[in-house]
Order: sequence, then C-alpha cells, then structure tokens
Amino acid sequence: MQILHVENLRKSFDGKTILSNVSLEISKGEVIAVIGPSGSGKSTLLRCLTLLEKIDQGKITVEGDVMVDSPHGHPRYAPEETLRKIRLKLGMVFQNFNLFPHFSVLQNITEAPVHVAGVPYEVAKANALELLEKIGLADKADAYPYQLSGGQSQRVAIARALAMKPDVLFFDEPTSALDPELTGEVLKVIRALAAEHMTMMVVTHEMAFARDVADRVIFMDNGQIIETGTPEQIFLNPTNERTKTFLQRFSENG
Amino acid sequence: MEWTNFIRLLNLLFNGALTSIQLFFYTLLFSLPLGLAVALGRMSKRPYIRGPIKFYILIMRGTPLLLQIIFVYFAPSFMLPEGFRINLDRFVAAVIAFSLNYAAYFAEIYRGGIESIPQGQYEAAAVLGFTKSQTFFRIILPQVIKRILPPISNEVITLVKDTALIQILGISELFRVAKNESSRLFSTLPLFVAGLFYLAMNWVVTRLFHLAEKKLSYYK
Ligand SMILES: Nc1ncnc2c1ncn2[C@@H]1O[C@H](COP(=O)(O)OP(=O)(O)OP(=O)(O)O)[C@@H](O)[C@H]1O
Ligand SMILES: [Mg+2]
Repeated sequence: MQILHVENLRKSFDGKTILSNVSLEISKGEVIAVIGPSGSGKSTLLRCLTLLEKIDQGKITVEGDVMVDSPHGHPRYAPEETLRKIRLKLGMVFQNFNLFPHFSVLQNITEAPVHVAGVPYEVAKANALELLEKIGLADKADAYPYQLSGGQSQRVAIARALAMKPDVLFFDEPTSALDPELTGEVLKVIRALAAEHMTMMVVTHEMAFARDVADRVIFMDNGQIIETGTPEQIFLNPTNERTKTFLQRFSENG
Repeated sequence: MEWTNFIRLLNLLFNGALTSIQLFFYTLLFSLPLGLAVALGRMSKRPYIRGPIKFYILIMRGTPLLLQIIFVYFAPSFMLPEGFRINLDRFVAAVIAFSLNYAAYFAEIYRGGIESIPQGQYEAAAVLGFTKSQTFFRIILPQVIKRILPPISNEVITLVKDTALIQILGISELFRVAKNESSRLFSTLPLFVAGLFYLAMNWVVTRLFHLAEKKLSYYK
C-alpha cells in the first residue's frame, strides 16, 4: 500500500531552483535512506513533504489525500482541514532534536497527543512511559531536556514523534549533531523501528546504516534524484557516474 | 520634629504612595497585555499593520512621558470636534498615558524575546500538529517569559519611579505630597522619607522578580 506519492516536485528559493523533477513513492513498512552531497536538497525535500516548506510545482499525495497539486503550473494546497489530517500522519525527527526545553521529557511526549490528538492524559502518559521504556529512558521521564545527552535527546525526540502514531516518520540526519560515540544508541532505536516495519524515510550520512537498514536507497545530487535502488544496487553496482563519485569519496574519507 | 507630626507626615506620604501604587498596578494591568498585542503587530508581515505600530512605538519611546501625560489629559478637551469634547479625569488620563507608553517599551522587550526563540521550536510544533495559537501560547510564550523577566523587571522598577511624573496634573501622589510637606515644614525630611518609600516599593518589586526567575530556573 502506498503511503506517500510525489510527482514532479519543484522547489526554488528566491528564484533559485533547489529541487526539480523529484518523483518518488513510499510504501507501507518501507525504510528509505536518502543520501547525497551537502546542499543537494535532501533537507528541503523532507521539509516539503512535511509541510514545513511550500512547493512551487508538483503533486504530493498522502494515503489518497491530495496535499498539493499544480494542475496549471501553480501549487494549490488542500484546505487547512485536510492538511491537518495529513500532518497527523507525518512525523519528523530533526537533526537538532528541537525538544521543548520548558517541558519535562514526559510532557514533551504527551503534549501533542493530549492537545492535538485529544487523547486523555492518563492514556497519553501510559503510552509515553511505554515509549520511554522502549528507547531505554524510562528513568528520564521527569528530566528536562538540558539534563540529557545528545543521544538521549534524540531518542526522546523520536519518542515524541512516535507518540502521535504517524504513518510515516521522516528523519533529517538524526545523528549528525551527535558525538560519534552517541550515534549508535540512536541508530539502534531506528533499527528497532525498522524491524517493526515502521515506515521511514531517513536522510543520513551513515552509509553503513543505510546499507544495513534501508529497503531502498535514494541518491540525490543537485536537487534531483539521480539514482534509486536497493542498497546492493546503489552501493555495489551504482550505474550513475555521480553516484559512483559520491560513494568513492565517502569510502575514501570514512 | 515632634513624634505626632512625624506620624502625621507618614500618614500623608502613605496616602500619596497609595495613589502611586494604584497608578503602578493599573499601568501594568493594561500595558503588559497591550504590549504583547503591539509586539505581535510590530512583527506582522502586513505593512499596513506593522507601519502604524512602528510609528506608535517611535512616538512613545521618542518623546518624554511627561509630554504624553499632558497631551492625553488636555487633547480630548480641545482637539476633538465641538460637541465631542470631554474632560478626562486626571487619574484616568494618567493611566491611559502610562499604559500606552509602557506598552511600547514592553512590546519591544516581547519582540526581542519572541525573536530569540529558535525557528526549530516552531517547526517541531508544526510537525506535531499544533495550531499557530497553541504553538504560541504553549511552546513559545512560556520560553519568552523566562527570557524577558530581567528586562521587564528593569522597566517595572522604572515605572515605580515614573509614577512621580503625574504630579504635573496636580495629582497628589507620593512625590508631590513630599514636596508640599517639605516646603511647608522647611525641611528635606519628607523628601528623604519619600525616597525610602520608593526604595521599599522597588525592594518588593525586585524580590518578586527574583522569586519568579527562581521559579522558572527549573529549565535552561
Ligand atoms: N530557507 C532557505 N532559503 C534559501 N535557500 C535555502 C533555504 N534552505 C535551503 N536553501 C538552499 O537549498 C539548497 C539545498 O539545501 P538543503 O539543506 O536541502 O541541502 P541538504 O542536502 O540537506 O544538505 P546537507 O547535507 O548539508 O544538510 C542549498 O543550496 C541551500 O543553500
Ligand atoms: Mg540537510
């Protein structure tokens, strides 16, 4: 079953084209890794899909609901009501966590379920504690974000997103802001989610992780999807020159 | 000075201080929320909202409060068209002038606070599905309040002392009472005691802000 469908997305900033001709689909349970050089538009793509940026052209459909279409070359977004419904199906984990500093860990996780989804507090709390258990932070429920390490913060951010029970979860370089020794604990949580067939799209520079966890890898360069395929195809038999160069540079540096 | 005269002086000063304190509280009551509205207008994307608000802030911060007090008191009685002219109560005029003036200062403090909140907070709230107003009141404003407490406390301390300005309208607030007593008694003692009154009021203000800051120090 298709969860997300993108057709011919185009996005520019101040007249400069950042994304063009981007088409992709995400199926239920699929884990997609997005790789590519810095500035290739990976973050912008995620931000367009999660409604943090407005696109200039193209069509995005989420589980049959049209988020935006551009029949006459201009984007026409669905009414706010539909967008709200769509937003609830999409979760996002940021590079810098963006936890709410004035809320405890528990409240970071329960706030949206209670005040956005209308879940009774007791239910939201039980669910939050369960999530904390799962990410190994049950003892941090009452801590405040400033008391957490980067790895712990990111795990809480993942729990916060999961608490809204999204149908697809986007990650924008979830480990890039972390000290190397802390990336493992975050990747472990994402791996566990993959094992449960959580639908995810992960922008990452962790090639080993992309290779092991992703069902499909998308390579982007210069605002376009250059190549997409299974990890074996992309990492072992890339067909495009740019993919080859990029991966080569990576294996040299890493 | 005789003891009974001193008690009488304290009593007079105390009554004057009550007027000052009333002005103080009315000003905060109106200017704190008004300042928030002004700050939001100042940050509006719409130039026809932002423009006039910028002008308003410029006038309020760019001219003496003393002048504004006089203007608010006298303007309605000669600038309005014939038949609509009203005589404002002097204290009401003072409250209006102070509220408008302080709202402008508070607005700029709010704006600084709001603009210092990282964009990521708005984005995290947006993807979680919070509405704009939920985001503002649940996520942004609480963090803003923590950040702006120190500059707000500065303004509030200034406000305590600024209340002396309404003596220009002949209102018997603390300073005017002290001045009158001082010339009547040929003594600086009333002025000195009035100074202690202001100091005491600001000591309370300072304590309260310290408590508030401490209460909000549970996070960083
Ligand atoms: N808000 C913005 N305004 C103007 N230009 C922007 C904006 N956001 C991104 N860009 C530009 O869009 C291009 C793509 O940026 P993006 O952040 O999507 O790249 P990325 O692939 O995520 O890079 P990185 O790996 O460094 O995170 C860059 O050239 C960037 O300068
Ligand atoms: Mg990026």
